Amino acid sequence: MRPFKPLFILEVFFDLLPFLPVTILMLSGSVFFGSLLGFILARAKIAGRRFIRLLADTYIAVMRCTPPIVLLFIVYYGLPELLLSTMGLDINGIEKAIFVLVTYTMLCGATMSEIMRSSYESIDKGQWEAAVSIGLSPFQAFYRIMFPQAAAVALPNLCNVLINLMKDGALAFTIGMIDVMGKGTLIISKNFGAYALETYIALALIYWGLTLVIEKSFSVLEKSLSRGKRSIAE
Amino acid sequence: MELNIEYMIDTFFLALTGVPATLSITAVALIISTPIAFFMAISKIYNVTVVKQIVTTYVSFIRGTPVVLQILIIYSLLPSLFNAIVKNIGWNINIFEINPIIYAYIVFSLNTSAGLSEIFRSALLTVNKGQYEAALSIGMSPVQAYTRIIIPQALVSALPNICNLTINLIKGTSLAFLMTVKEVTSIAKIAASYGYNYIESYIDILIIYIILCSLVQILFALLEKHFGSYKTLTGSATKTN
Repeated sequence: MRPFKPLFILEVFFDLLPFLPVTILMLSGSVFFGSLLGFILARAKIAGRRFIRLLADTYIAVMRCTPPIVLLFIVYYGLPELLLSTMGLDINGIEKAIFVLVTYTMLCGATMSEIMRSSYESIDKGQWEAAVSIGLSPFQAFYRIMFPQAAAVALPNLCNVLINLMKDGALAFTIGMIDVMGKGTLIISKNFGAYALETYIALALIYWGLTLVIEKSFSVLEKSLSRGKRSIAE
Repeated sequence: MELNIEYMIDTFFLALTGVPATLSITAVALIISTPIAFFMAISKIYNVTVVKQIVTTYVSFIRGTPVVLQILIIYSLLPSLFNAIVKNIGWNINIFEINPIIYAYIVFSLNTSAGLSEIFRSALLTVNKGQYEAALSIGMSPVQAYTRIIIPQALVSALPNICNLTINLIKGTSLAFLMTVKEVTSIAKIAASYGYNYIESYIDILIIYIILCSLVQILFALLEKHFGSYKTLTGSATKTN
């Protein structure tokens, strides 16, 4: 067995760091579009007609059961053909990042909608009625009264979603996307498979660090958002 | 876009032969990690000094790294490590010929025990301390108090989370193809590579996972009804009052 070389971890670590922005960009892109999709789905579930509600329910149930890697490949192989046959659009030469973004937006949208719905429903309906009765418009009532309270409730779940999305995002290397993980696999094949373990450990450290940063910033955010809220513990 | 329906139906039944492997990874991971996770949760609740720090770091590491990476790390570390150990002891076994599903069991047990320990911890904390004290005061031993009073109550609040974890575990096993395990995803993927029928194969895989996960959800709904029966009893009693 080849001796383990701890110094190589450090070496690879600095080779990988320049690709961290790609990972973060993909993450924030899918969270942004996923939130939009999630908002539409949550609205459909809260206020939609029965048919639309059924549609949203089905979508969420299917996404809940889909392994990210399977969806990634369905999008990667299916989307170009679908667009080609329905609209005559040829997107075979397009950036792989688009497929990754579409996949994780679809996945994120489903979980996001459930979080939005549950946090919205956790706020007392009386808050809305009180806001409207003192003369706020429905939009103002949502934006000023309901949203800040719901956001504080949603934060811990949101943190989980973000971390899971980042971890699932590591799969993007399977379709040839060059983020940190993709760069790591490139480095391994450049070394003809040697130092694989060291490279993977460096990658693990990067992902672990990223998770800790996300967790920390969310706990700070949560503290500032839930000020003025009293729980039974106090 | 035209789907090759005939191929899809063939591959669907072919991929179904991978379901036992998928389910066995799930089941073994759950069975192995349950006792480990329970003791991890207990050591965190009772603040066992060194153990608590180790458990916290372990959980944070598993939670903070992608499953793919855990699979790749274990799969590039264990076989050669086992080989070196076996060579040192002098056994005449070829490690590289054993079924790679063993490594899948190991990875997913390690992964599940971290998630499960957090679920157990939060579930055990939902049970009021008075319950434990009451159990001791009527003469039960601590073990009896746990197995008869605390755990049945904690299980009810833990079940929805365990259901979530099981579904994520089943979804996670789709990555076992990286370890050349023959489960649903890898069988359908290999079938696809003969004729470049990737979309059809992946839709087949999707359908199988949807069926599996729906069955798991139904199973857990039944379990919840069973274990939560005492809750609904008190609920209906207050209603009639």
